Amino acid sequence: MDVPQPLIWIAKIVVIFGGLVGTAALMSLAERKVSAWMQYRIGPNRVGPFGLLQPLADGIKFIFKEELIPAGANKFMFRLAPALSAAPAMLTMAVIPIGGTAVIAGREIPLSIADVDIGVLFLLAFSGLSIYGVILGGWASNSKYSLLGGLRASAQMISYELTLILTILAVVALEGTLNLRAISENQASIGQWNIWTQPLAFVLFTITMFAETNRHPFDFAECEPELVGGFHTEYSAMRFALYFLGEYCAMTVLSCLNATLFLGGPSVPFWPEAPWFIGVAAFCLKAGFFLFLFLWVRWSLPRMRFDQLMRLGWKVFLPLALANLLVTGAFISFGAH
Amino acid sequence: MVIVQRKELTFAERLYLPEIFRGLSITFSKFFEKPITRQYPEEPLPTDEVTRGQPRLVVKDDGNIACVSCGMCEIACPAYAITIDGGETDRQIEREPKRFEIDMLRCILCGFCEEACPKDAIFMSNELELADTTRRGLVYDLEKLKRPKSALQPRIDYVYRINKRWRSKQP
Amino acid sequence: MSQPTTPTPSDKPATIKIQVDGREVEADPKQPLIRACHDSGVDVPMYCYHPGLTPVGSCRICQVEVAAAPGQPSRVVAACRTPVSPGMVVQTDTPKAHETRRECLEFLLKNHPLDCPICDKAGECDLQDYSFNEGQGKGRSSEPRRKLEKRKSLGDVIVLDEERCILCSRCVRFFQDVTHKPQLTVSGLGSRSTISTFGDKPLTGNYQGNLADICPVGALTLKPFRFQARVWNLSKSLSTCAECSRGCSITVEALRGKEVKRFRPRFNAQVNQYWMCDTGRFAYAPVTQPLAPAGSALGGRLAGAAVRGYGGLELVEVEPALAEAADILAAHPKPLVLLSPFATQEEARAALELCATLGVAARFVSPAPSALKDDLLNTGDPCPNRRGLTELGLAPVEPAQARVELAQARAALLIGERIQELLEPAELAKLPAELRLVVFDVCAHDLPALDVAVGAPTHVEKSGQWLNIDGHVGVLNVAVPPPAGVGPLERTLRELRAALAPSAATR
Ligand code: SF4
Ligand code: SF4
Ligand code: SF4
Ligand code: FES
Repeated sequence: MDVPQPLIWIAKIVVIFGGLVGTAALMSLAERKVSAWMQYRIGPNRVGPFGLLQPLADGIKFIFKEELIPAGANKFMFRLAPALSAAPAMLTMAVIPIGGTAVIAGREIPLSIADVDIGVLFLLAFSGLSIYGVILGGWASNSKYSLLGGLRASAQMISYELTLILTILAVVALEGTLNLRAISENQASIGQWNIWTQPLAFVLFTITMFAETNRHPFDFAECEPELVGGFHTEYSAMRFALYFLGEYCAMTVLSCLNATLFLGGPSVPFWPEAPWFIGVAAFCLKAGFFLFLFLWVRWSLPRMRFDQLMRLGWKVFLPLALANLLVTGAFISFGAH
Repeated sequence: MVIVQRKELTFAERLYLPEIFRGLSITFSKFFEKPITRQYPEEPLPTDEVTRGQPRLVVKDDGNIACVSCGMCEIACPAYAITIDGGETDRQIEREPKRFEIDMLRCILCGFCEEACPKDAIFMSNELELADTTRRGLVYDLEKLKRPKSALQPRIDYVYRINKRWRSKQP
Repeated sequence: MSQPTTPTPSDKPATIKIQVDGREVEADPKQPLIRACHDSGVDVPMYCYHPGLTPVGSCRICQVEVAAAPGQPSRVVAACRTPVSPGMVVQTDTPKAHETRRECLEFLLKNHPLDCPICDKAGECDLQDYSFNEGQGKGRSSEPRRKLEKRKSLGDVIVLDEERCILCSRCVRFFQDVTHKPQLTVSGLGSRSTISTFGDKPLTGNYQGNLADICPVGALTLKPFRFQARVWNLSKSLSTCAECSRGCSITVEALRGKEVKRFRPRFNAQVNQYWMCDTGRFAYAPVTQPLAPAGSALGGRLAGAAVRGYGGLELVEVEPALAEAADILAAHPKPLVLLSPFATQEEARAALELCATLGVAARFVSPAPSALKDDLLNTGDPCPNRRGLTELGLAPVEPAQARVELAQARAALLIGERIQELLEPAELAKLPAELRLVVFDVCAHDLPALDVAVGAPTHVEKSGQWLNIDGHVGVLNVAVPPPAGVGPLERTLRELRAALAPSAATR
């Protein structure tokens, strides 16, 4: 059977993006379910079995809700911002290898949409873009709460993006490649996982992940008690949903990235010859753990104070990440060879 | 001025991470406990005579309403929920309500009307549900408020019981 | 009117000095002690005493402790039957006085049905108030209460509840002292005594309604008011009766501030003392007319304005209606202007300004005296502001004469409450359609001649002044809000004048 290559590309795109958006939708349900379980509650259970169709119902509701644009808002920017926030988050998924190489009907299909050599760079560049959506949305709303939320988000992003990059850099230096597929293939067995060689980087990355996605306990851009809803105070209907879609997509992508960088991507512990679909399942499990961690932390820890956040970012994480990179570099230069 | 002496934190505490894990483990342990949620419409709230539901008017065993439209509940109602217009009746009691309306949207279920009524004509039922598509539909008139005395009897007995020290004789 | 039986406080007789509750007060020697107490602001309860009636001292609730002079032995006396003497020392607040009043109340309540929940007097009942202040919480008697008739009709106006009656005999004395035609008496013995008419005939006369006011309890109630409202839901405004040129001072009582339920007399020493006639008391039909059905100008109160269009009277805003009226009046020189005798001084002045602009003289419609005239209050003259309008220089005109002039006029302006009724709508309907008629009245009638109608407030919906037949000022206050779209008549008149002569109005 000979399926033309473009068809395979399209199929991959559909499956992986579909999976991403589906995960994001499910996350909105999981968020409520997990919080409910942690609080002796049941959570949404009215729409579909166990409330599984709740995201669908929410989607329909969002689409049919009235959209309000505040007077004095910059209409163009106001409309553009949510898309600016959601699109980059989705795009970055393109370079994440969700598995090794699938063999379907004798054909070998690499399980990532794009296998670029500078995958890490691409990912960082695009995930850095999504902050524009937040800042622009906050500014264009013409509301003090939104503006403050947007400003906080930008300050926070800059502080933590540095740490994030430095930790990734340590892994990249160790692996000697920017290609995510190569990085994940290099950790085929559990002993090769980067978490063992880069434990500090793993911890820093995992924590920075929260700040990067504006998640609790670092959700200063929203921060209900002080800023009403932060940058999205003035948003309603589908544009509001788009921000959430972006946030959940960014969470998913970073979880995948974490799994790829530190937990060996699709590698199955103690079963190097595992078939490709087991690898995909293992990858999903690893990414799923981080996704769960996002929710778990949100419903367990209190929000920090903004000055604490900045102090943590600049005075603790940045030096630690720098030191980590330095030690890694020294190790590579003098130790290994 | 008070100077608060902050506790010196140990290194482990200042690392935060152990404490964070402790916090996470607490919430995780709750994960598997039985929810206390009540699935409301399917599992209705338990009610008994102490339940202070919506006020209802007593219809005596002879089929007549016990209310004489004295207006005591109307003036006692802190939410101005009750409106009564009286009129003459041929019954021995001379006066009965021609219009008796309780705006259930205003009623705060305080029970003052029950307490004010000198005729044992209005009692808090155990009816709690309230839904309609118009506001006017939630202004209950005489017909919607009437309940046979037997339906309200547990509440009537309860009110008499708790008020015994002020009442000299049972009805 | 006949002389009141007791002199009024406004007469300034020589006073003597007595001491009430430790204070030196002035007292009128011709008045019983209770008046001195009340006038000095000390509340002494009373049932049988009424300042407008001869005191009899039968209820004993007014007992106070009195000593002839400071230091003299004191004793408990009924304040309503005790004349004042110089230097007497009165104490109303002693244990002994309270004790006697409490005992007195216990006897009164012994046979009282205590059906306050259904009693119309509840809320303004002296028995309730004094029992609350002075009485005891529990009755000590275990005997059954007496059973008497609870719904005994005493004519068209009054219902007697024999059980509630405390036999104060105020009602009996009212007919003796005020109308001088005794109709009631106390019959029966002991606890079976009741109030009854002579020979069980129904009550007659135009003053029966006052019985319900003077009855200190709920024994005598008004048939039209029976069970209509709880008295605490009535908002009260000071006003003046509109039904004759006596202009009795009244209180307008409206249920929840919206619906007029009761007119009650208000003490006015110069005009009506404590009384009013039943004609005025029950004249709330003219002020409780329903609104015209939605979309129509006829068949009820006119809320807003109407002008004649091709399809008959059409509802419009007041402003275009006034513009239309101004056009009509400007196009026809010397229009006929007639005022209602219900017009207030304020309205009449505005009308006079308007007439000056039009260059015509205003007159008011003055119907013939009615047969209601009596020697007590009712003057029989149905023009409440006759004196005021006359003093402003308006001449009266008989309705018949007015209609003759209307038939000859080319344009006419009728101003004020009930003016169409006074000119009789059936007669007005015969006026030729060529007559351009502008009417400012509470409602519009289906008159072929009617071109413009603008709604006006009734006398309970406006504030203003009338002068009664003796020149006393009677005030009107807004007791109920006028229907939406109806403004004060004087404002309407000023606006019409402004529409007629913009420069004149701004001067
Ligand atoms: S329960 Fe309270 S608020 Fe409700 S009608 Fe009775 S008095 Fe009014
Ligand atoms: S207090 Fe009782 S008797 Fe009086 S109006 Fe209310 S329900 Fe009727
Ligand atoms: S007369 Fe007074 S005390 Fe008697 S029932 Fe009426 S309100 Fe109550
Ligand atoms: S008021 Fe004095 S005895 Fe009745």
